[in-house]
Amino acid sequence: MAVDTLMFAVITLVYLGVVIFLGYIGYRQTKGSDDYLVAGRKINPVVLALSYGATFISTSAIVGFGGISAQLGMGLVWLTVLCIGVGVLVAFILFGKKTRSLGHKTGALTYPDLLGKCYQSAFIRKITALIIIVSMPIYTAAILIGGARFIEATLSIPYDTALLAFAAVVALYVVLGGLIAVMYTDALQGAIMFIGMTILLVLTYTYLGGVVVANSALDTLAPLVPENLAAAGMTGWASMPEFLSPIWLTMITTMVLGVGIGVLAQPQLAVRFMTVKDSRSIHRAVLIGGPFVLMMTCVAFTVGPLTNVWFMQKNGMLAFDAAGGNVDSIIPLYINSAMPDLFIIIFMLALLAAAMSTLSSLFHTMGTTIGYDLNPLVKNRKPSMKAIQLGTLAMIVVSTVVAYALPENIIARATVIFMGLCAASFIPAFAHALYAEKPSVSAAKVSITAGALSWFLWTAFVHVKESSVLGISDALFGVQSVLPMPWGVVNPIVIALPISAVALLAVLVIQKRASTTS
Amino acid sequence: MFGISDPGIWVGYLLSFLLTAVCIAYGIINWKNGSDEGSEDGS
Repeated sequence: MAVDTLMFAVITLVYLGVVIFLGYIGYRQTKGSDDYLVAGRKINPVVLALSYGATFISTSAIVGFGGISAQLGMGLVWLTVLCIGVGVLVAFILFGKKTRSLGHKTGALTYPDLLGKCYQSAFIRKITALIIIVSMPIYTAAILIGGARFIEATLSIPYDTALLAFAAVVALYVVLGGLIAVMYTDALQGAIMFIGMTILLVLTYTYLGGVVVANSALDTLAPLVPENLAAAGMTGWASMPEFLSPIWLTMITTMVLGVGIGVLAQPQLAVRFMTVKDSRSIHRAVLIGGPFVLMMTCVAFTVGPLTNVWFMQKNGMLAFDAAGGNVDSIIPLYINSAMPDLFIIIFMLALLAAAMSTLSSLFHTMGTTIGYDLNPLVKNRKPSMKAIQLGTLAMIVVSTVVAYALPENIIARATVIFMGLCAASFIPAFAHALYAEKPSVSAAKVSITAGALSWFLWTAFVHVKESSVLGISDALFGVQSVLPMPWGVVNPIVIALPISAVALLAVLVIQKRASTTS
Repeated sequence: MFGISDPGIWVGYLLSFLLTAVCIAYGIINWKNGSDEGSEDGS
């Protein structure tokens, strides 16, 4: 790290002190399970917007996807379009307002609880909770790994110590302060992220001579696209890959659609809509959420490609080569090489904040799922705060153990896997629950099962990135993908989500015909 | 536009800014709507 480690350590300690203080406020304001689970349903719209955004945007979005855009170009800006269009407008206005009102009406306290109450089905609640408890620890572990690696590199702390300390600090305020503490600290972390990304954009364009000059310089780098990427369809860093080429399919189906649509059915995000008292709070949160998500994603996907111009001017090489071929190192390397010391500290703090805000929300969601939704001791659906706190603690331990078992380069992959499974399993059933007068339990059961199953089959037998790691297809059929290219680079969400939606519609049509006939 | 020649890219930027503007306009227009509505969903 280029800056003084002691200075960064001191500022980090001050930041952690403020985080713990906010966690303490959350602890003091938590009087019962309603406070612990849905923040007493009285969260401020600014806190809602920043908490939602900071939870949605993890370090993986900034460093991981920023690095990928440095390698593959500005085409990832279409993920920004979906993050704002779907992740904010559709999520808040079409899903959020209904989620809030149904949450109030049914008294639901968690995402599985809401689905269970809308469908009046214990099965729907349990299967939703089960999918969360199986898939979320992997995503959580990936965020833990990313945070620990970052702390290890910046503060020169051993990895094991960093991992345990990172989990322990977040666990402290999540376990004691519940969702109020999580959302208050999220808001602080979101504000730090916003400041960091704004400075990053302004300084980058200033260093490169302004918006038009910098973008034009990036455009002229097109002839330097490496041969292997050009053969896979890449045309330059300021242009889209060739339509339907392998890079285009990966970029659009995995990154743009996988994350951009996947955001709609993430339990840790959906529960936030139940924390505000009225739709007015959601309206106001949209005003802040749009610009926040724009600054997080658009800046990462703009500065990423522009690092090529900077490294070319300074070192005579592309960003990917300057980072030694490690995509995840491009953004940190650029920050350390190009930015003034004070900004390096602010940006590093922003990355720590991004990891902590996502991690705390995942801890809380897993804890409420195991301590409430899947807890056989819950009587009369009345939650016990002690049980949920114990559940949260247990899931934090599980996630930490999983973090030790997972490979290092799992962060971006785990993000896409989690979002894809949630989207394929939940989106159609969730939308049906929100908008149907009498939602069909059978249709939801078939949709969730078909979505999860088709997602798993495509992941294990077709999508090479995952099937090659899982090894099931190779063991059974001797190939990584049972379908020819380009299917091997088409993300499971593109197949599984339509199957889940069609399954739901098919059951609804069959039921309607049956009722008409009888 | 913005020094970028491929419409596939600058249209993406343009849409991002437009959608952000829609978010801001929606929040301002509905700033006072939907207060204290209990379980009803107002807009």
